Amino acid sequence: MNRSISWMKYMALAAVLVLVLSGCGAAGNSNSAVQASGGEQAAGQAEGGNLTYALATSPDTLDPHRSGLAVTVRAIRTIYDNLVVQLPDGSIKPWLAKEWSVSEDGKSYTFKLREDVKFHDGTPFNAEAVKFNLDRVIDPTTKAANSLALIRPYSSSEVIDEYTIKVNLEQPSQAFLGNLSQALLGIVSPTAAKKYGDQLGKNPVGTGPYTFVKWDENADIVVAKNRDYNWAPATVENEGAPHIDTITFKIVPEEATRIGSVQSKQVLAAETVPPQNIAALKNDPNQQLLQANTVGLPYTLFFNLRKAPWDDVKVRQAVQSAVDVESIVKTLYLGNYERAWSALSPGILGYDASLEGSINPDINKANQLLDEQGWIKGADGIREKDGKKLTLHYVDGSPNREKRNDIAAIIQQQLKQVGIAVEVEITKDVATVIYQNWDYDLYGNSQVNSDPNALYAFYHTSAEGERPTLSGLSDPKIDKLLEQGAVETDSDKRVDIYNQIQQYLIEQAVILPIYVFPYTVAASKSVQGIKFDSLGYPLFNDVRIQP
Amino acid sequence: MVQTILTRLATSLLVIFGASVLVYCIMYLLPGDPVLLMLDPSSATPEMIQNLRVQLGLDQPFYIQFANYFGDMLRGDFGKSMINSDPVLPKILEHFPATLALTALSSIIAITIGITLGVLSAIHRNGVIDFIARLVGLFGISMPTFWTGILLILLFSVQLGWFPAMGSDGFSSLVLPAATLGLVGAGFIVRMVRNSMLEVVNEPFIMALRAKGLSQRTIMYGHALRNALIPAVTVIGMLIGDLLAGTVVVETVFSRQGIGRIIADALMAKDLPVVQGVVFFTAIIYVVLNLLVDISYAYIDPRVRRAVRT
Repeated sequence: MNRSISWMKYMALAAVLVLVLSGCGAAGNSNSAVQASGGEQAAGQAEGGNLTYALATSPDTLDPHRSGLAVTVRAIRTIYDNLVVQLPDGSIKPWLAKEWSVSEDGKSYTFKLREDVKFHDGTPFNAEAVKFNLDRVIDPTTKAANSLALIRPYSSSEVIDEYTIKVNLEQPSQAFLGNLSQALLGIVSPTAAKKYGDQLGKNPVGTGPYTFVKWDENADIVVAKNRDYNWAPATVENEGAPHIDTITFKIVPEEATRIGSVQSKQVLAAETVPPQNIAALKNDPNQQLLQANTVGLPYTLFFNLRKAPWDDVKVRQAVQSAVDVESIVKTLYLGNYERAWSALSPGILGYDASLEGSINPDINKANQLLDEQGWIKGADGIREKDGKKLTLHYVDGSPNREKRNDIAAIIQQQLKQVGIAVEVEITKDVATVIYQNWDYDLYGNSQVNSDPNALYAFYHTSAEGERPTLSGLSDPKIDKLLEQGAVETDSDKRVDIYNQIQQYLIEQAVILPIYVFPYTVAASKSVQGIKFDSLGYPLFNDVRIQP
Repeated sequence: MVQTILTRLATSLLVIFGASVLVYCIMYLLPGDPVLLMLDPSSATPEMIQNLRVQLGLDQPFYIQFANYFGDMLRGDFGKSMINSDPVLPKILEHFPATLALTALSSIIAITIGITLGVLSAIHRNGVIDFIARLVGLFGISMPTFWTGILLILLFSVQLGWFPAMGSDGFSSLVLPAATLGLVGAGFIVRMVRNSMLEVVNEPFIMALRAKGLSQRTIMYGHALRNALIPAVTVIGMLIGDLLAGTVVVETVFSRQGIGRIIADALMAKDLPVVQGVVFFTAIIYVVLNLLVDISYAYIDPRVRRAVRT
C-alpha cells in the first residue's frame, strides 16, 4: 500500500513536469499565430500574404556596408536601394539617381537624384544622404568589409545642390558605376546610421520596397511592404509597393531540412537546392524550380605559379589535359550545373564564348607533356624527376559546399592515371593555409561580380610587400591589359581586352575553370514573380502568392 | 551537508575559471586570423586588415588580451561579437531558454523510455520486449544524431505532416528535435538500467524478499529498481551534459534557435568573445548539474546520505 502511494507521487510529479514544460514551450513561442503555411492564408486573392523563404545560412549583419556574405544580399536587397541598377546585358540604368554624367578625365561622376524618395524612418533622401553613405564606407570606424573593395577608387564627394552630387575618384574606373549597383553599396538612412552606429545591422533603415520588422537570430528575418515605395529599378515590373504584405526569411542551414520544409509546405520557397533533389522537385506537381546562373568568376581551380613544378606551363597543360571537367560536372551535378570554360562566367561583359569546347581531355597528350619535361613514371606509377615525386597539394576550404570536396576526389583519381599524386587537404582555415602560408599547388575559389574588372584582383601582379594573388601570376602583358580594362570607355575595346586575358589564362593553363554556380530556388507553385538581378540574387518586388 | 555543498561550490568556481582559461588559450593558439575571416581575403588590403586588428585589440600581447577579457567578464561584461557587435551576455540569455526546453524535453524522453525499457527488458530477459529494448538501445547509441533527425523529418514532416520540419515556434516544433536527442539518451539509459537491474536481481537481499513472500512486482519496482537506479542516475547526470552538447547538431538540423547554434556559428567565424561567453555559461551549467547529481545520490541511497551527515 505504502509503495503504491509513493508510486502515485512519482507519477504525479512526472505529469506536472510535462505540463510545466509544455507550458514553457508555448510561452516561449512569440508568434504561434504564424502558421507553417502562412502564405496560404491569403489564398483567393493576388494581393497580400506572407512569403516564407528559407535561407541556407544566416546573414552576418543587415548593414550593407559591413557585410561580407552573399546570403546577406538576399535579405538586404529588400530593404535598401542603390543609386543605379545594372541590367543583365551589363548596361547601367537609373534607380535612386535619375541621370548622371562623367567628366572628361573619367575621374568624377555627377549624379542627379530622385526628389520623391524617403527613407523608412522619414529621413529625406538627398545629396547629403548619398555623400554620408559613400563617406561612411571609407570611414575606418565603420569597419566596412566587402563594400570597401567595391567602392574603390572613391576619394570624395561634393554636394552641388540638394539633389545633385559630384563623386570624385582617385583614378578612372569602368567598374565603379556597376559596383554602385551592388547591394553592399545600398543607401542607408543617415539618421539611423548615426543613431544606431555599429548596431545598424540589427536596425536597418533604407529606402527599399520592404521595411525591416524583426530579426530573431538564427530563426528568421521579417520585412514588411513599404506602402510608399514608388521607385523600383528597371529589373522588375512593379514600380510601386510590393503585392505581398511580408517576407519571412527563415534560416535553415541543413539542406535536407530546407528541402523538407518546402515539401511539407512549412515554407513557400527555399534557396540552394542540392543537385540530387532537383530532379524530384521538377517532377513534383506542387513545386517549381527557379534557377539563375550567378555572374562573375565561376568556380575555378588556381595553380600556384610560384611553386615548382607548377611554374612550368607544360606541366600545367598536362594537368589541364588529364582532368576531365566535363565528366566531373556531369557526374556530380547530374546535368544541373553548367561547365565553366573561362576565367569569367557567361553573361558578364567580355565573356569569351569562343573558349567553349576549347579544352578537351587527352590522356596521351598529358603523358607526352610530362615525359618531355623529364617526369618519368616510377615503380609505384607516380612520376619522378631528380628524385622528387610529382605531387600536387590540392586545398579546399569548405566542408563539401556544392560537392567541392568530391571534385577534389575525382581529380585525385584522374591525375593518378597520368602519374601525378594528389594530396587533398580540406580545411576551413583557408585564411592561414592559403592567404598566410601560401601552402598549396591548386586551390579553388569563385566570386560574384558584375564587372570583368574582377579579374584584376586575381591576376594582376601584386604590389611589393602585398599578398600575392591566388595564382601568383605576374606577367607584364596581362598587367597592362588589366589596367587598360579598368579604364577603357569603349565597350567594344573592353570586350577585346578581356577576351585576350581569358584566352591567355586558358592557353597558359593558369587555371582550371570547373562550373558555373546556379542559384536555385524551390518554390511552391502558388508563388509567382520571383525574379533575379544581373548577379543572380532574388528580387521580391513582383512576387504574388496565388490561390 | 551544507559544508559539502560549499566545498563543492568553491571547487566549481575553480573549474569554471579553468575552463575559461583553457578555451581562451585554445582559441588563441588555433591557426587562423579572425580579422582575415571577417574581411574578404581576396579583396581586403593589408592596411584594412591592420586597422581592424588594432581596433579589436588583437595587436596586444596575449596576457593583456586575456586580462582585459577576464576583468570585463567579472564585471558582467562578456564583450561584443566580433562579427556583428552584438553584446554577448544578452545574446546567450536570449537563446538559452530554447536550449533549456530542448534539453529538458529530451531528458524526459530519454529517462522515460530508458528506464521503462531497461526495467522491462531485465524482467522479461531474452523475451521479445528484451529484444526490442536492446534494439532501441543499439539504435540510439549508434545512429548519428543528424541522421536520426533527418529521418524523423522525412517521416513526420514531409510524409505525415504531423510536426514542422524546423523552427522554434512552440511546442510542436520542439517534438522532433527532442525525440532525436532523447533517442540517443534513451539508448544509454536502457543499457545501463538493464545491466544494473540484472545484477541487483541476483543479489541475496532479493532472494530474502522472495523468501518473505513479497510479490514479484513489489520486489522489482520497490526494491530492485531503487538499487539499480543509483548507477543510472550517474549516467543520467552525465547524459544531460551530453544532451546539452548534442544541441549543437540538433539545433542546426532543425534550424532551432539556441546556444548550440550560437557556438557552432561562433567557432566557424572564430568569434572569440562569443565562444568564451558560451563556454563560461555552459561550464556553470555543467557544474550545477554535477552538484544536483551528487545531491540526488544522497536522496536515493540512504548510505550516501548517512555518510554525508557524519
